[in-house]
Amino acid sequence: MNRSTSALYLRVILCLLFLFLFGALFRLQVIKGSYYRRIAENNFVRIRRVTATRGEIYDVKYRPIVINIPSHDLYLISGKVKNIDALGLFLKTHFGIEKEELHDLIFQQRFKTYEEIMLVDNISYETMLTLSEKLNYFPELVFRSGTTREYLYPNHFTGYVGRINEDEFRRYRQEDYSLNGYIGKGGLEKYYEILLRGKDGKQIIQVDARGQNLGFFRTDADVAPLNGLSLVLSIDNDLQTFVQECFPPGSRGAIVVSNIEDGGILAYASNPCYDPNVFMQRISPDLWAELNRPERPLLDRASQGAYPPGSVFKPVTAAEGLEAGIINRNTLLAPCGGGLKIGNRFFKCWSSSGHGRTNVVDALRVSCDVFFYDLISRIPLDDAWRHAVSCGVVNRTGIDLPGERAGLYPNTEWFKKRLGRAGSLQGYKANLSIGQGEVLTTPLQMNAFYAAIARGGYWIQPHFLVRTLGRGRVSREQVQPLDKHSFGWSQSTLKAIQDGLWAVTNAPGGTGRAFNVAGVTTYGKTGSAENAMGKITHAWFCGYIVAEKPEIVITVFLENAGGGGAVAAPIASRIANYYVGNIDRFKAPAPIPDQFRDLEDEAEDEAEEAFPYQGPYEEPAAVTPVEEAG
Amino acid sequence: MFNRKKFDWVLASLLIILIVMGCIAIYSASTTIIGKHHSTQNHWWKQIIFAIISLSAILLLLKLPMPIFDILIVPLFIANMLALIGVLFVPAAHGAHRWFSFLGLSYQPSESAKLLSVLLVARVITKENLTELQQVAYGFGIMVVPIVLILMEPDFGTSLVFVFSLLAMLIAADVPFYYILIIVSPVLSIVSSLHWIAVVVWILLFVYLLIRMGLSWVTITICGVINVFLALIMPIFWNGLKAYQQERILTFIDPTRDPLGAGYQIIQAKIAIGSGGFAGKGWLMGTQKNMNFLPEHHTDFIFSVIGEEFGFLGSVLVLTVFALFFWRMAHAIPEIKVKERKVATAGILAYLMIQTFINIGMNVGIVPVTGVPLLFISYGGSSLLINSLAVGVVLKYLNERGFIK
Repeated sequence: MNRSTSALYLRVILCLLFLFLFGALFRLQVIKGSYYRRIAENNFVRIRRVTATRGEIYDVKYRPIVINIPSHDLYLISGKVKNIDALGLFLKTHFGIEKEELHDLIFQQRFKTYEEIMLVDNISYETMLTLSEKLNYFPELVFRSGTTREYLYPNHFTGYVGRINEDEFRRYRQEDYSLNGYIGKGGLEKYYEILLRGKDGKQIIQVDARGQNLGFFRTDADVAPLNGLSLVLSIDNDLQTFVQECFPPGSRGAIVVSNIEDGGILAYASNPCYDPNVFMQRISPDLWAELNRPERPLLDRASQGAYPPGSVFKPVTAAEGLEAGIINRNTLLAPCGGGLKIGNRFFKCWSSSGHGRTNVVDALRVSCDVFFYDLISRIPLDDAWRHAVSCGVVNRTGIDLPGERAGLYPNTEWFKKRLGRAGSLQGYKANLSIGQGEVLTTPLQMNAFYAAIARGGYWIQPHFLVRTLGRGRVSREQVQPLDKHSFGWSQSTLKAIQDGLWAVTNAPGGTGRAFNVAGVTTYGKTGSAENAMGKITHAWFCGYIVAEKPEIVITVFLENAGGGGAVAAPIASRIANYYVGNIDRFKAPAPIPDQFRDLEDEAEDEAEEAFPYQGPYEEPAAVTPVEEAG
Repeated sequence: MFNRKKFDWVLASLLIILIVMGCIAIYSASTTIIGKHHSTQNHWWKQIIFAIISLSAILLLLKLPMPIFDILIVPLFIANMLALIGVLFVPAAHGAHRWFSFLGLSYQPSESAKLLSVLLVARVITKENLTELQQVAYGFGIMVVPIVLILMEPDFGTSLVFVFSLLAMLIAADVPFYYILIIVSPVLSIVSSLHWIAVVVWILLFVYLLIRMGLSWVTITICGVINVFLALIMPIFWNGLKAYQQERILTFIDPTRDPLGAGYQIIQAKIAIGSGGFAGKGWLMGTQKNMNFLPEHHTDFIFSVIGEEFGFLGSVLVLTVFALFFWRMAHAIPEIKVKERKVATAGILAYLMIQTFINIGMNVGIVPVTGVPLLFISYGGSSLLINSLAVGVVLKYLNERGFIK
């Protein structure tokens, strides 16, 4: 072959290919140039995002807690902006958007998405009417209707949604969030974001001014939105409202009421409370200061605050002594004469007159500190620690809320790190035995622990979600299996602890006799925990009631409010009486309302693979109690 | 080893002109103008830095002694193949595993694989005493590794580029034309199986050409039977696939079938270029880049910005510079006397040319293939560096053309 044959071949191919490109360019730009210019200028071909409806949140009787309501939002089409200064002035006058903010929105967002930009959400109808006319001067602005969230009462568990921010947008790049979209920022809204959110649809727009299809794309490529799933919680709105009102005015604290049968949370309140709806609008500096006042209304004291538990912790110590065989039901320990000398330090009992020699049941009844000082002196610290962990009062309970705090129970290693030496820890241990010193627990952990005692030593992870509604029905177990395990206590241990708790609220001299509910058997334990926050003790009460079977467990915690028996127990008593007084209503099965049935019938037609359909609805069969209380 | 007299100043100047055009287009692509205000992302000066690095790399390559250059090819090729395997385990970006990224820089191993595969194939198939069949077999044996790895990313466009450069090298290595015909025949048989008339016409033409080339009847029969078989089995195989599998294959070959994915960009590019008309809207004045585009038009869709802002005149100017550039490079082939280098030059020329064609073709909507950036113009450090080095290799060969093996 001639030497330059290959060069010739390549040159021929080069000419052919480039002639081809030349021809295509000529056709596109010269022959059909004005046609494409019209399409480009009028924005005839584009993709529109069809927002999925976010799932709502209902209580156990299908009454709403969080719903979607229509809203009017103002959008900006950045490609159409002509005079950015006039636009800035307009937005500043009517919506208080600063010029810099507008620049950031336009110039930064445009490098991320081709969508319209949501400038203001939740505009009032009146504002929209008055501004509609002025919008004629700003073709780049357009009102669109969407939905926003409404939270039906102030609370600490629903959390709230907000506009997605830069950071979240980057982090969830793969999830196809719109920069205009909402994302759960806290509480259940954040925890169950994936279930609630759904999936946005896409619609291809390719019609010209006369409504004719331009035919660039196949028309059947549109993707319909998949709406989010609604949540059904174990919360009972009636009880929740009642409980929230039980807080003494100006108090700080938390109340948790949960169902012993399944561990579902019936009421979950923290005081002072805040209204999640405030996050649906721009927050004024005054309001922000109000939300961050020293009482910290935004803090969820039930699961995000850990406090010294005081005497409500004593059953943990007692059970360890019983299980380890150090004591039995009738063992009498050191006599209480108002205190006990450990090493060269004297540890006082809360009662200066003393309780004399007591057994475990009496020690719980009168809340004698000396009994527990003496008991724990016979238990190695790490055994006590291991036991506390197994009772679920140290690690997070795993409740379906973000930001849960763990409790604290120190072990030898912890003291080594903290103190730099491992000398005698007897003095520290004495404090630990009565829930003071280093011990910290959340009210929620305590609630779960007492529920486990009521259940016969069987711990169930506390939780809100019962099932989902809407496009698919998913039970809590399918979303995330609940942690359930037995403490492994012997029947005699359980009986001794339960008898002690019964004595607290029933027997003469019991500290919790204010927890008084007619017609049911009451159990409970008071606590008055000394703390670093103030001179007055934290008031604690944990108790449960048993009718035909164990019903509900109540935890009341009030910061610096005084004695548990005097302050917390009466509140728990009110709640229990309210519950027992309306027990038929609380226990009545709630049929699934028709509107949800319709929704689910629709969902059945387009059965989703991701959410297996569960078959026709049945009332959940009563869960047989896992173990009868001994 | 830099020889002023032998250095191809024309080719080098054309290269620099293309890079400058790229920077101008990238500046515009990353600028938004709204009213009197405008904002530019920093892509353009990053590209200038990349350009300086790339041109320096060419100079270094020219100074590099030839023996060292020759030794480096095989280990670099092996390292590159490992990188191609590694990149499959990197989380996908934009739906494909193509990039390694760190410190804001990203590297696409398939870019360097093009150059290294060409150099290695050129070396292997120009060894003395090889039969023609061995040349074809070795060439294919090497190329199939990067092609398969890149198809897995998935990147159909880049794989296509490899095939074309291999064919060009085989021709330059004096492999008779009928080998090329036999190699491409299965693909044509598969394509022709869309319609029975096409099958008949193609098979008859194929057999006729083989007879004209004087092949033995045994060879012709075997090739004919294999191709008829392929053409007949394809429809059966195709109908055996599930609808979504068919759809997936079709979308792989033709992204416009997926308007919510890559197809959207292709259509928008076409609209943008068309709306540029004869004279264009003027530099920085393009509107489509502000409206409907996903924000990646400074890479694969840079030509749409040129077409929109500089119109038909500007587009044709870019096309012309490219054409001159390739013409000049073809000029180098007969100048280079060492066969290995001659073949390598043909391979480099072929892959650069096909890549340009695929990219511009995609932008104007005649080639439905994505994933191939526009040489020297698209934003991207690794692609600019590797493509410049490819030109550097040709310049180096020209520089040492006095040397005859």
